[in-house]
Amino acid sequence: MAFLAPLFFLGLAALAVPVLIHLTQREKKMVQQFPSLMFVRRIPYQTVRRRKIRDLALLMVRLAALLLIIAAFARPFLWRPDAAITIGPGAREVVVLLDQSYSMAYGDRWDRAKAAARDAINKLGAADKGSVVLFSSGADIALRSTAERDRLIASFSTVTTSPGATRYGPALKVAGSILAESPLPRREVILISDFQRNGWRGEEGSRLPTGTTVTPVMVGGPADKPDAAVTSVSLARSTFSDQERMTVTAAVANRTDTPVTADTLSLEIGGRGVQTQPLTIAPNGSASIVFAPFTVPSRNMRLSVRAGNDALPTDNAFYFVVSPATPVRIIVVDSGTKAGAGLYLTRALSIGDAPRFETVLRQPANVSDDDLRRASVVLLNDVDVTTGLGRRLGRFVQDGGGLFVAAGPRATWPQEADVLPATLSQPIDRSRGESGRVGALEYTHPVFEVFRAPRSGDFSSARFYAYRSVTAAPMSQVLARFDAGTPALVERKLGSGRVLLWASTLDLSWSDLPLKPVFLPFIQRSMIHLANYSEPAPWRTVGQVFDPAAAGAKSQASGRLALTPSGKRMPLEDEGSQSQVLELAEQGFYEIRGQKANSDVTVVASNVDPAESDLTALDPREIVAAATGGTVANGQSAASDVPLTPDAQERSQRLWWYLLCAGIVLLGTDTLFSNWLSKT
Amino acid sequence: MSLAAGHSQSAIPGARFMDPTVLARIGNLDLVARAVVDGFINGMHKAPYFGASVDFAEHRGYVPGDDIRRVDWKLWARTDRYYVKEYEAESNSNFSVLLDVSKSMNYGSGGITKLDYARILTACLTNLVHHQRDRVGLVTFDNDVVSFVPSSAKHMDVVLHTLENVTAGRPGSLKLPLQKLAEHFGRRGVLVVISDFYEEPDAVIDAIAPLRFRGNDLIVFHVLDKAELEFGFSDASAFEDLETGEQMPVVPDAFRKEYQSLVRAHTDALQQRFLANRVDYTVLDTSKPLDHALYRYLSSRLRMMKVR
Repeated sequence: MAFLAPLFFLGLAALAVPVLIHLTQREKKMVQQFPSLMFVRRIPYQTVRRRKIRDLALLMVRLAALLLIIAAFARPFLWRPDAAITIGPGAREVVVLLDQSYSMAYGDRWDRAKAAARDAINKLGAADKGSVVLFSSGADIALRSTAERDRLIASFSTVTTSPGATRYGPALKVAGSILAESPLPRREVILISDFQRNGWRGEEGSRLPTGTTVTPVMVGGPADKPDAAVTSVSLARSTFSDQERMTVTAAVANRTDTPVTADTLSLEIGGRGVQTQPLTIAPNGSASIVFAPFTVPSRNMRLSVRAGNDALPTDNAFYFVVSPATPVRIIVVDSGTKAGAGLYLTRALSIGDAPRFETVLRQPANVSDDDLRRASVVLLNDVDVTTGLGRRLGRFVQDGGGLFVAAGPRATWPQEADVLPATLSQPIDRSRGESGRVGALEYTHPVFEVFRAPRSGDFSSARFYAYRSVTAAPMSQVLARFDAGTPALVERKLGSGRVLLWASTLDLSWSDLPLKPVFLPFIQRSMIHLANYSEPAPWRTVGQVFDPAAAGAKSQASGRLALTPSGKRMPLEDEGSQSQVLELAEQGFYEIRGQKANSDVTVVASNVDPAESDLTALDPREIVAAATGGTVANGQSAASDVPLTPDAQERSQRLWWYLLCAGIVLLGTDTLFSNWLSKT
Repeated sequence: MSLAAGHSQSAIPGARFMDPTVLARIGNLDLVARAVVDGFINGMHKAPYFGASVDFAEHRGYVPGDDIRRVDWKLWARTDRYYVKEYEAESNSNFSVLLDVSKSMNYGSGGITKLDYARILTACLTNLVHHQRDRVGLVTFDNDVVSFVPSSAKHMDVVLHTLENVTAGRPGSLKLPLQKLAEHFGRRGVLVVISDFYEEPDAVIDAIAPLRFRGNDLIVFHVLDKAELEFGFSDASAFEDLETGEQMPVVPDAFRKEYQSLVRAHTDALQQRFLANRVDYTVLDTSKPLDHALYRYLSSRLRMMKVR
């Protein structure tokens, strides 16, 4: 008998604890001194005798439990010099890492990879154990540490390539965890892959346990068959005859040594080909194919660009979703008493199409509830706000709308409506002497972020002849200040919406800001920020995680589910009705909808990683060296000369497990025993 | 823990002065002994033994060598023969108390320990016999002889002083010390053994009987506390042997009857064996007044004198 961690026996000192407790308890007993127990001793009182014996037994049980637990921690094992013969010096723990990325579909790579895996498993000895790990961007254990070769082979026989890209790091980490738990003396990893360079990004902390042999099996080869890969598309919107049109330009790459000729590239809408373009790409070249514009009549149009069949069909299709551009609807509230007051403002908002601003001009008394329901932002251009309008605007902001208040000489706000981020005071006249300027800006804020870089816009060039003195409310944030220190732009979050207060006018009456280049981006960024506008991504990549809630999916009703490209239904809420994210694992269109028939639908396009179509291989020894700590194995293990280590013997016997179980059982017995004793 | 309290009052006048608890508080053994003996004597005016030792005993014929001052000249005048008068006073004997000072004697459930009781008893007896002109001595022992005061008419103070300083510290055993003493007490005398006798009756007899072999009169006082006799404890607890330190869980209610019968059997066995060996044996309850012991002693002396 030997011990792997004999220092734990220092814990034997703990055995004194029950004894001390026993003694302490004895001392605490009421002791009656008596001249002699000569007669007492003669009295046959069996209960007393038995209790004494039981207490001793209890003590022994406790001591035995502690002893067993300490012994378990010391990791005992029976030292058997012939253990190597019993287990065999060649007993191996073999982990087969099988690359399942979509580049393995190139030519016959996948078939060769499976054949190599079968071959490796068939070579397992009777005492060997094998594991199969399928990996692409992630790693999944198909079967873990078993000697059943048939099951190992069956675990990957019917598996096809995945749309994921190659990542070696996760696969090596999984292999390391399997090997670390193995009691067998020899550890081996068989890495079957096409060894794409894009899949290896340095060591990635994927060091295997010491003594592990990594055997790379290269199933790649010369890229001698043409492969046209649609890597991306660019979308250009235009308006023709009051209809929004879109022009798709597809980028197609050929990363093989063979030219792509006589191929076609088709644009499909809703699964039907609408346009086809000839495709010819030189070896290791790329091409941009422009399709004719088409009208975008409805939301969530499913488009795809598809090349003809070639050696790697997975990267031939590129999916994306387009919808008509959603304008940011703005109500500009102007009193109309001053001609041209909103000229610069409306002009600034009429320019641009990403997003497009749709402005409606209203007088304060004419702002209807229907206007507010349709609008994303309300801009009060120096108007006198009544109590009723102030309260309605407060509810509008609470519900998620945006409010921009330009505080000129006529601007007032009712005290009954607590909406503004600052209280308005008297105007400050800077027309005499030096005019005011905007000094400090909060460049980290989305409104001013575009001006952050040097020469990206100079607010200090604008001169302010007057502005309103305002005092920021406690919960608000000052985004800009005049040179005198008074706030120029203050923001407040209210409910789901936001309020911006500009302490001057947006015309030329108090400043020349509308004449400065920063005016237009300032106004547009403010509106985009207040409308909480974000352009939906036309496509995403396999492996990314899509959060329907964060993406503003309209299907907010309970029981939301996702329909995968392969037709599977996945609920997007767990048992606690908490929203779940959707991991994009397939190539194609995901559809997210509520369970009701008329619920809104969100469509997400998922594409394979275009980098995976680059079949350039790296030297497998680079991965082997990184995983094994710098020593590149030659595939022949020297383990047959290595005697079975104590660690391996202990792992193979696992006596600590039985000792620990026995100790815990004894502790349970002790509890029951002592409870029973206390009752008797 | 509670004991059946209450000491039975003695019917003898003056016994109130002999309550052991009260006496133990006095502390000065000489004073205690005087108080007890005087009180005892005052209550026994008609005791025929007081002054008996100086009374005339008998005449015997003059033999050469007798002191002529002891010749009864009046009888010579009447009979013309020489007779010598013999008095009891001339038969002054050695009186020694063999006091057990083992650790078990240091027990007392009431206001007095067995050792204190035994000391007072010893002082009283010594004082009593000192009045009778007997020579007094004292031996204390546990598992060996602790102190030894030879019998002498002048040793009364020494005896009291030794009694004052005696302490119970070691476990006791009768055999070894009494064996030594049996060899020592060669001259006839009165030996009083005071102990709690926590040994088997046969072992006690084996240890004590040799003291009689040279003609000593033997009086044995078996001193026991009331708790030892009645076992009046109520709470279950661990009982610790004063001498060995051994502990034992005891449920007094369950033990009491059995214990009392065992103690009774023990004292009966001792009584029987001492009687067979012509040893006067008395069980003393420390909660009882001392007059019992004194009365017992004097009764014993009377009986022995009659026998003689």
